[in-house]
Amino acid sequence: MCVGVPMQVVEINYPSGVAEARGVKRNIGLQLLPEGDVNIGDHVIVHVGFAIEKVDEKMADEIWKGFDEIFRLMDEEDEGA
Amino acid sequence: MNKSENLIKHIHSLVPKDRKVKIMNVCGSHEHTIAFSGMRSLMPQNLELIPGPGCPVCVCPESDIINAIKLSKRDDVILVTYGDMLRVPTQQGSIRAEGKNFRMITSPFEAIAIAKNHSDKKIIFFSIGFETTTAPTAAILEMGIPDNLYILSSHRLTPAIMEILVKDADIGIDGFIAPGHVSAIVGSNAWNVFSEKYGIPTVVAGFEAENLLLGIVDILRQIKEGIAETTNVYSNVVRPEGNTQAQRIMHKYFEVSNVNWRGIGYIPDSGLELKSEYSARDARKVFELKEVKEEKIPGCICGEVILGKAYPSKCKLFKKACTPQSPTGPCMVSQEGSCNIWYKTN
Repeated sequence: MCVGVPMQVVEINYPSGVAEARGVKRNIGLQLLPEGDVNIGDHVIVHVGFAIEKVDEKMADEIWKGFDEIFRLMDEEDEGA
Repeated sequence: MNKSENLIKHIHSLVPKDRKVKIMNVCGSHEHTIAFSGMRSLMPQNLELIPGPGCPVCVCPESDIINAIKLSKRDDVILVTYGDMLRVPTQQGSIRAEGKNFRMITSPFEAIAIAKNHSDKKIIFFSIGFETTTAPTAAILEMGIPDNLYILSSHRLTPAIMEILVKDADIGIDGFIAPGHVSAIVGSNAWNVFSEKYGIPTVVAGFEAENLLLGIVDILRQIKEGIAETTNVYSNVVRPEGNTQAQRIMHKYFEVSNVNWRGIGYIPDSGLELKSEYSARDARKVFELKEVKEEKIPGCICGEVILGKAYPSKCKLFKKACTPQSPTGPCMVSQEGSCNIWYKTN
């Protein structure tokens, strides 16, 4: 529930928009960021469908790298269980 | 040697040799990374990484869940809430087992869509969680919600529970790893109270293992230097002042209140309820909900686990009567619950 996922903004219709991550598009809320602060192509951290903060592309990649590592370890635990 | 190995070596060299050190995280996602990465096994023997109250469904009061079950049994109501909440056990069962008209949602947006598609029903959004979920609920109120959508707020404030923890000498916290995304909302400055008033080194960290290790190094550095600061190793995401727009919207719709934390008790000014001017949207008032007396689950030590006083493995029910498939206590339900995480990694 509290996991924040980095996504890239692909459409803006403030206070809503569409963001994409790993090929999945999702309607998101932009109300928690000031109008005009978010542009198409920006990366944002999305919590329960709302962008809570902007991040640069490098940071978004690093967070995804962290997720991938945890997903890999979780898979290993499941296989070992 | 890679960066993580270097950080672990650094942790071993910095840790005091003459005493135990307890560092608490207060975020289920931090505990997830710590547990699944196997980080604990690489720490010095006298350094404990303790999971704290980082699981919102674990602390949601039984009374609110029972009221949610009752509401879902009304023919004119559809109760909507996050998936984990559906499975949390109470003396009257879970919403999934005992409820009638309920839906799982992954975002407050979906509550709006359901309300629009069922204009003949009253949609009650059982909205729970810490600041990261409070802000989105405040956001839909700011954006405007349909007249048939009501909020049952069971939101909790992270700094309030942390202040209870530091005052409890039994726990003896030497350092806090502050939650990364809660900090994105409230700002790293929100934790200054812990370093300044209570002398506890506090570091805002992200969710990668390497970033968490960096946070631990910084806490140990402070302990070694005999200082207490609030620092931020997740500064690419978290600003000192936080997300001021989110804070403004939250304060517009919610006000602090004295609330019950499951397994812990009432804590002054630790929860959020809708302000009286929005009482027409407040399910607690509109549906005249009454408090149900909380009953302790026999054998369950979730309250102690949440407060960092016991590890899940100390519980007699752990991995026996209580499993993720059939949770007896709330800490086994969610992927952010300490018992659930320990079940999968211990």
